[in-house]
Amino acid sequence: MEQNESLWHFMQQQSGKLLQQTMQHVGLTFISLLIAVLIGLPLGIYITRNKKAAGIVLGIAGILQTIPSIALLGFLIPLLGIGPKPAIMALFLYALLPIIRNTSEGINGVDPGVKEAALAMGMTTTQRLVKVELVLAFPVIMAGIRTATVINVGVGTLAAYIAAGGLGEFIFGGIALNNTNMILAGAIPAALLAILLDFLLSLIQRTGSRGRKMALGLLPLALVVFSSFYLLPIGFGSRLLAGFTPEFMGRKDGDIGLRSEYGLKIRTVVISDAVMYKAIYEHKLDVISGYSTDGRLKAYDLITLDDDKKIFPPYYAAPVVRNDVLTKYPELSPVLNLLAGKINDSIMTLLNYRVEYLNQDPEQCARDFLVSLGLYRPPRNGAKGPVRLGSKIFPEQYILTAIYAMLVRGYTDLQVESKTGLGGTKICFDALKDGQIDMYPEYTGTALLAILHAPADLVDHLAGSGDSVYAYVRDRFSREYNLSWLDPIGFNNAYALMMRRSQARQLDILTISDLANYLKRDR
Amino acid sequence: MITVTNITKRFGRHTAVDNISFTINEGETVVFLGASGCGKTTMLKMINRLLEPDSGEIRIDGTPITQRRPEDLRRGIGYVLQNYGLFPHYTIEENIGIVPQLLGWKKDVLSKRVTALMEKLQLPPEQYRSAYPAALSGGQQQRVGIARALAADPPVLLMDEPFGALDPITRSSVRKDFRELDELRAKTIILVTHDVQEAFELADRIFLLDKGRIIQEGTPDDLLFRPAGDYVRLFLQEQRFQLEAMRLKAGDYPALNRAFDNFKNRQS
Repeated sequence: MEQNESLWHFMQQQSGKLLQQTMQHVGLTFISLLIAVLIGLPLGIYITRNKKAAGIVLGIAGILQTIPSIALLGFLIPLLGIGPKPAIMALFLYALLPIIRNTSEGINGVDPGVKEAALAMGMTTTQRLVKVELVLAFPVIMAGIRTATVINVGVGTLAAYIAAGGLGEFIFGGIALNNTNMILAGAIPAALLAILLDFLLSLIQRTGSRGRKMALGLLPLALVVFSSFYLLPIGFGSRLLAGFTPEFMGRKDGDIGLRSEYGLKIRTVVISDAVMYKAIYEHKLDVISGYSTDGRLKAYDLITLDDDKKIFPPYYAAPVVRNDVLTKYPELSPVLNLLAGKINDSIMTLLNYRVEYLNQDPEQCARDFLVSLGLYRPPRNGAKGPVRLGSKIFPEQYILTAIYAMLVRGYTDLQVESKTGLGGTKICFDALKDGQIDMYPEYTGTALLAILHAPADLVDHLAGSGDSVYAYVRDRFSREYNLSWLDPIGFNNAYALMMRRSQARQLDILTISDLANYLKRDR
Repeated sequence: MITVTNITKRFGRHTAVDNISFTINEGETVVFLGASGCGKTTMLKMINRLLEPDSGEIRIDGTPITQRRPEDLRRGIGYVLQNYGLFPHYTIEENIGIVPQLLGWKKDVLSKRVTALMEKLQLPPEQYRSAYPAALSGGQQQRVGIARALAADPPVLLMDEPFGALDPITRSSVRKDFRELDELRAKTIILVTHDVQEAFELADRIFLLDKGRIIQEGTPDDLLFRPAGDYVRLFLQEQRFQLEAMRLKAGDYPALNRAFDNFKNRQS
């Protein structure tokens, strides 16, 4: 019950956004559907006349249908960039097969006697097509259009990954933030939309032959009207365009904080982390949200803007270890702390860059790093242990785990088992808590917000001071979970706003305040 | 007048119609008779260009049919299909009125014409005018099919097994009404059937076809009493008694006795 009430509350609170996303979603669905009908219907008719082409056309459309939607978007981004174009293209391609196939099957399914009679009575092939075949195939063709519509509403949620809007913004934001209300606020309207559109189209499908003439006239009109929905919500915005991840959009220490603390008013699109950096590099975006140690900062020549009002809580990384393991192997803690304070932001960025962009092996990278610090020792191949090291599923964590494994093997007689790729925060933390792993590197900010769910006023109070956040999470982890935070490694992988170095220099923007002021002048 | 000269039609390696020539006079009713696969329907469909021959020429009233656009040609030739081929999404009135409508007839003229035809074909207009074909029995559907073929009053009527899909009782009643239609008086009719009795009942002349060739061409009496070979005799054998009885005038007892004796001799 509480769940329902808070969901309703959330939807009311976000009604403006919800309406905008729904309109965008309907728009995307129908623009692509319109194009798919305009191309699929004639193609479907054509392949009933040319049986040789039928196999080829249906084969190609069938293959397109089997490409996973995320992969299809991936293929389209280099060709069409980000935004509505690749989204519409992808939805169009998915809608094509059901429309082509049902058109040709509908026409082929018309009684051959009726077709022969139409010709024998003196109809031209065009008259036969319009007066007989299309009218009799209409229910089958409509079934194809219904299928395509439902597919488009579903796949359309993925548009949020490439800055094309739609209800996916809430869904993916909610998944990233582990916020069920947010997921439902996107998923329920999307499901209702699919059901509603399917129902409306089924009414058209079931019209008798009388109503079909009208339906055939109204359908294109409706398609065009609904298509135009997409254009309505595009407001007047700033000269610069920001692309934020769904997660960042919904966070207090994200878009919300930027608006309330900095008064930052910037036109924003929602985009997936995977394509965001490429998009800013290609001047499709001007500002993005990212992590301050991301290797792509270096790869795409971006700079981070200084968070001068300290709204992004610090994300200092430190190893989190089970207390019972530390007691059992007292030699472990000093070895892990060898790394304390040794990796600053720029070193971590460089290490990430080497692994992510130069495709170096994390092991090799870790070894080079330890050798350069004079910390590397060859493995002692001891027989104690083992100690089980976990990591989340991204490069930075792989590198840190590799470094820790090397230190433990070189300095102690303990054996090491690496369990890398444990997905996100929740999986890693649960594994540690339940004793399936013994340690993994965690970030103070993540622990504060995603694990301890610290209340907002406390977050405000702690924010800005790396030490106080660290002290707070160490204290609560020790008391509540019997887990120890060892000394921080040094770097702060906090959220950051990023711009292209060239543009930031040209506009003289160094801090987020500079950006906010520039945008205010801009108006 | 329809003149067919050296028509051949192949489907792949199979020759459906093999170098056929014949002439059909105005107002004549000709029946193409033969077993399935003998080429009779193929021959029929070449006359209104639903099929195009591989070689040879067909003329109607002296003009080669290839000189006219197929749709114009077909609007001047009535066509009745075995499985009726009515448009399920058209009312009976619209179905009957298709050809006049394609020819651009005025609405009131068309409406009167449809009413007249429905009455002649025993389809009460007030009851069936706005009905859809699905609501009609097979016999009624074929009456609509016949009305549709006659609607624009074409000089030529092609009929492809028109009574073949009906049960025997319905068939004889539809056939009887068909025979009595005054509409048909001046029309050139070509009818395809495998039903010997039907052919004898309706035809002025019968073309008996086998393997794409005309085996015999003549009046029913010619086929019955002057068969051109064993194939013709064999084809008519089953129903010879009924056919002979049918050809006789009432009271011609010696002839009837002769026929009966023949029949008995064959039985023993």
